[in-house]
Parts: sequence; C-alpha cells; structure tokens
Amino acid sequence: MSGRPVSIEGRLAWRLTAIFTVAIVLAVAGFFWKVASTNDTLLDRALQDQASDIARHLAVHPDGTSVLDLPAPLAEAYGRRDGAFAYVVYDPRGRPVHASAGDAPALFESHHPLERDRTFFRIGPQAGRGDPMFGYVVEAQGGYRIAVAQGWFHDDVLADSLVEEFMEVGLLWMAPVVAIALWVGVMTIRTSLAPVVRLSEQAARIGPETLDARLPEGGLPREVRPLVSAVNHALSRLQAGLDRERRFMAEAAHELRTPLAVLTARIDSLDGPASDGLRRDAARLNRLAEQLLRAGRLDAGPLDVSQPVDLRQIAVEALGALAPLAIREGRALGLTGEPGPVWVRGNRPALLVAIENLLENALVHTPAPGGVEVEVSADGTVRVKDEGPGVPPADREAIFRRFVRGKDAKPGGAGLGLAIVMETARAHGGSVTVADRPGGGAVFEMRLPG
Amino acid sequence: MTQTTGTTMRVLVVEDEAELGSLVAAALRRAGFAADAVGRLDEAQAALSAVAYDAVVLDLGLPDGDGLALLAALRERPDPPPVLIVTARDAVENRVAGLDAGAEDYLLKPFHMDELIARVKVVLRRPRGGAPLRIEAGNVTFDVTHREVLIGNRPVPFTRREMALLEMLLRRAGRVVAKESIEEHLYSFDEPVGSNAVEVSVHRLRRRLAEAGATIEIHTLRGVGYMLDAGAS
Repeated sequence: MSGRPVSIEGRLAWRLTAIFTVAIVLAVAGFFWKVASTNDTLLDRALQDQASDIARHLAVHPDGTSVLDLPAPLAEAYGRRDGAFAYVVYDPRGRPVHASAGDAPALFESHHPLERDRTFFRIGPQAGRGDPMFGYVVEAQGGYRIAVAQGWFHDDVLADSLVEEFMEVGLLWMAPVVAIALWVGVMTIRTSLAPVVRLSEQAARIGPETLDARLPEGGLPREVRPLVSAVNHALSRLQAGLDRERRFMAEAAHELRTPLAVLTARIDSLDGPASDGLRRDAARLNRLAEQLLRAGRLDAGPLDVSQPVDLRQIAVEALGALAPLAIREGRALGLTGEPGPVWVRGNRPALLVAIENLLENALVHTPAPGGVEVEVSADGTVRVKDEGPGVPPADREAIFRRFVRGKDAKPGGAGLGLAIVMETARAHGGSVTVADRPGGGAVFEMRLPG
Repeated sequence: MTQTTGTTMRVLVVEDEAELGSLVAAALRRAGFAADAVGRLDEAQAALSAVAYDAVVLDLGLPDGDGLALLAALRERPDPPPVLIVTARDAVENRVAGLDAGAEDYLLKPFHMDELIARVKVVLRRPRGGAPLRIEAGNVTFDVTHREVLIGNRPVPFTRREMALLEMLLRRAGRVVAKESIEEHLYSFDEPVGSNAVEVSVHRLRRRLAEAGATIEIHTLRGVGYMLDAGAS
C-alpha cells in the first residue's frame, strides 16, 4: 500500500455516513412522492364519501319527486359560502332539483357532469374562487344522479405538516440512531483493534536478542489472527536462520581450535629463526578464532547480567591471565583505584573477557618497557591506561565496531576485541569510551551502572 | 621446573587427534617425561590398567565417549593420577564440570607446548599420597620435605618466612599470586603486620635470590600481587 495509512475507523465512519445520507435522501424523496399520490387518493375517497352521504339522505317518492333531508352538520357544511364544498342532485331527466347553493348548478353545468357517469371531473379556477374544484358524479336511486365537488385540499399545507411530522418523528429518531450506529461501529473497531495495538507494542520490543519471543494469538479478532500467526511463523524461521548462523560462527571457531592446536604444537617443536614468524602467525590465528568465539557467544543470546560480581576481583583475574604475556614481553601491569571489592550486577565471564580485551589492546599499543594500569573505581568504572600513541579523535567511535581497526593498529589484531568490549558494556547498560591520557597514551573507560 | 622422585615420570596423553597426541607426547619426552599417546577411551582404560601413570593429559571429546567418564573412573581408584584436561570446549560450565569431576587443571586449545608442559609439571608437583616433593624452577630446587633450597646445586639459607614465600611462588610459578593470599599465608594474627610487610619480604627474597645467582625472577603486579617467572630457560 502507498500514500496515507488508511484508518479502518475513519473508513467505516465515512461509509456509514454516506449510506445513511443516501438512505435519508431516498426516504425523504419517497415520502414526498407518496404524499403527493396519497393526496389524490384522499381526495377521491372524500368525494365518493360525500356523494354516498348525500345519496343516503335522498328520499325518492313513487311519484318521482324527491326530498333531500341533510342532517344539520352536513347541511351546514355545504351551506357555507366559502365554496369549498358543493353538490347538485339531478332528477332522471337531468334537471337540477337540489343544490348546495343557488349557483352550484350553473357552476357544474359548464362541465357537463351528466355526460359522465361515476367519473371525476375538474372545475377550473373560477372568477372569485382562487382554487380549482374537483367533481364526482354518482347515480342514485330512481334515476337521480348526484354530483359533488370539492375544492382542492390545501395540499401544500397538508404536505408541510406531513413533512414536519416526518422530520419530527423521523429525523429526531433517526439522528440518534445514525449517531449510535456510527458510534457502535467505530467503538467495535476500536475495541477489536485494541489488542492489535498492544500487540504492536510487544512486536516493537522484538529484536535480535529476543527473537525467541512470540506474539500472543489469544484475544485477537479472527480477522487479524492469520497476520499474527504469519508474523510468528516468520519470526520462527528468522530465529532458526539466525540460530543456524550463530551456531555456525561458534562451531566454526570451535572447530578451528583443534587444527590450530596441532599447528601451534608443531611450530612449538621447531627451532630456528623461521619458527618465530610462524609462531606469530599461529598466535594471530589463535587470537582471531578466540575473538570470533567470544563475539559468537555474545551474539548467541541475551547475557544474564543480574549476578552480583566484584569488578575489582574480575580485574585482578584479567591481570593475572595476561601477566605472563606482559612480563615475557617486558611490560609492567598494575591495578589502582578502589582497594576493596566493587560490586556491580553483571555477567562475570563476559566482563572478564571485556577487561582482558582492554588489557590486550593496551599491551599491544604500549611499547616495552612501558606499563599498563587498570583502575577500578567504586562507581563501577574500569579504566585501562596505556602508554601508546593514543587514539586519534576521528577513530574514537569506529574502533569499537567489528573488524574496524585503527590507523595505528598493530598487526596481529582481529578487529574484534574492542567491539566485544563495547557490546559487553552495552549488554550491561553501560558504555565504553576512549580518551587521551594526560601525559601520553590512551585511557579506555568502561562504565557499568552501579 | 620438574618434580622428581628419582625415576622418570610417566604421562598418558589421551587425544583423539592423532597428530596432536603424538606432538604432545614428543614434547613431553623432550621435557624429560616418558609419554604414551592413545586416541580412544577404551585404549586409555587399557593403558591405565596396565601402567601406573603419574599424570594424564586428557582430551574431553573422544570418539567412543566423553573424557569426563574416564576422569570419573579414575577417581574410583585408591591413588588416582592427577589429570590435566586439554579441550576445545571452553564454556564456563564445561570448565567447572571438569574441575568438579576431579581434574587438577584445565587447558584450552590451542595452547603452547611450554604452557602444557608447565601445567603438567604443576599437577605433578601437587602432593599426592604424601609423596616427597621437590620443586624446580630454573636453577632453583626447593626440597619440600627437608625445607632446603638449592641454587645451582648449592644450598642457600633462607629465613622461615622467605622460604614459605618462595615455596608459595614456586608452587604457582608462571601465575600471579595475590598479595592478600601471601599476607594470609605468611602472617598469623598475633604478629604485627606492617602495611608493606609483604613488599619488604619480597624485596628481601629477591635480593637473596639475586645474590645467590638464581635464574628465576619475581615480578610485581602493582596492586595485585607477584608472579615468579622461571625465565627463558
């Protein structure tokens, strides 16, 4: 996908809003159309009712005469002079015998009501009457016919009131329903996706050191589960691949040891000037294999840095391990700083390797008969001070990267020692830096949280 | 540095890498030991039941089993020879397991032959069944039984404290001896100990050794301790 990220919430809200809008527009349009057609029907029915009302009250005698005896309310309604209602009763010969008002027969006449039977007719706007009328003719008993007419309903008034009612009832009810539907939709998505947000936080914490972590698939919407399980499977494959690589690194270095031991033993059994060069070469190979193994171990998984360890004791051990080499090569070693134990939380073997690496680095750069000094402070800082040329400021970060060697690096190094120190310090939540030593040389400072 | 009881010490080398085994055996022979090399666990067991070895150099990864099994079997014996484990396994747990199983020392491959021979000498030097001991380093011989020091075959007198200090450093030759452990070893609580008592003792011992023409040297690791070095001999 490209462009702006799509929000399911927003999308749902938009679509629901669109659907509701269209639905409301259609409902209103349909309602108006319905109102219009209902109006006609209402009028038809009203005319028919009036005609049958009149027919009911029309008595036709055997002699052919008739009497129309309208009840008072009806008579009153027809008698009103506003002309909203009118009727004419015709005898079998077509003469008007009863009428709602005197001008009613004349009004009807021009529209030939008698030429149509049971049909509706229209009386156009007359002078003095603004509205057209609609008429209806029905046959009554004894050959009499009754024509009724009625002014058009005030249809706009009726429609207005109906729309008003529709808006009142419809919209007033529909608005909250729409709002609730939107809210329920959005909330459903939000609550369904809440586990996904939590999952993302967990996923964000997965790194090379925590590749064994998996995302929990429980409590997730079914739709998202395939994605999560696919991610978990991808993590498994990634872990397997990384494990293979790490194992390969460690095993390769490990497998190097035996042939290196044979090589070293063979060279040690030689004499003469050539053997010194070979011995140096073998020593370099040995160092490289050793550092690869150490780096491989750091890669192999998170360090347990929770054990209380005595940093000073570890420094003593590192000094002891390197003392034979240092003394053989005419360099002095010393320990200063805190005279008693310095307790920090950490990983003893890893810290030992780190301090040994710092010492080896210092010894390599210190010309005989110089000395290397280790200072362990009570705050968990280890400083290794050499008497070498120092590290140019431009190289001070790069030298802690794997296989990066300083411009003044002595031949024989693998470019891994200081990287191991850096990675060990970081694994402890600490750091390592290098600075100039007052009076010449370099100071490597490894700080561990107390 | 050789511990001698009059006869040649016999060392069994158990190493599945045949070339390495024979190189180690050859180096041990050059250093004055009698050495046999075998490549399998069952061969090692056969050799050990036929010959009374004074020490075993043991590789852990053998084609027919784990060297630690041999170590355990050896521990069953009334007077087991000291064992120096030589292995490519270096995890701390392996090291601890090896030492727990009764090995005297643990050497990681690859190693220098000098280092191996020095370690073999150290494991042989350790008291075993009350055998009389002599420790040698350079031209210095320390007779543990008779508390006598010979330098270039001439007896040299030392004070009791100097003798104890020399013994301590000789027993751990090539390794650093912490100043604290020297303090604990040399001075009992009822004696007043000056802050630089150890320094003074070491200084005196150095001077006596130099006067007597000893080829060994005592190096100071400031703030840590001392290391006796047999020199390039």
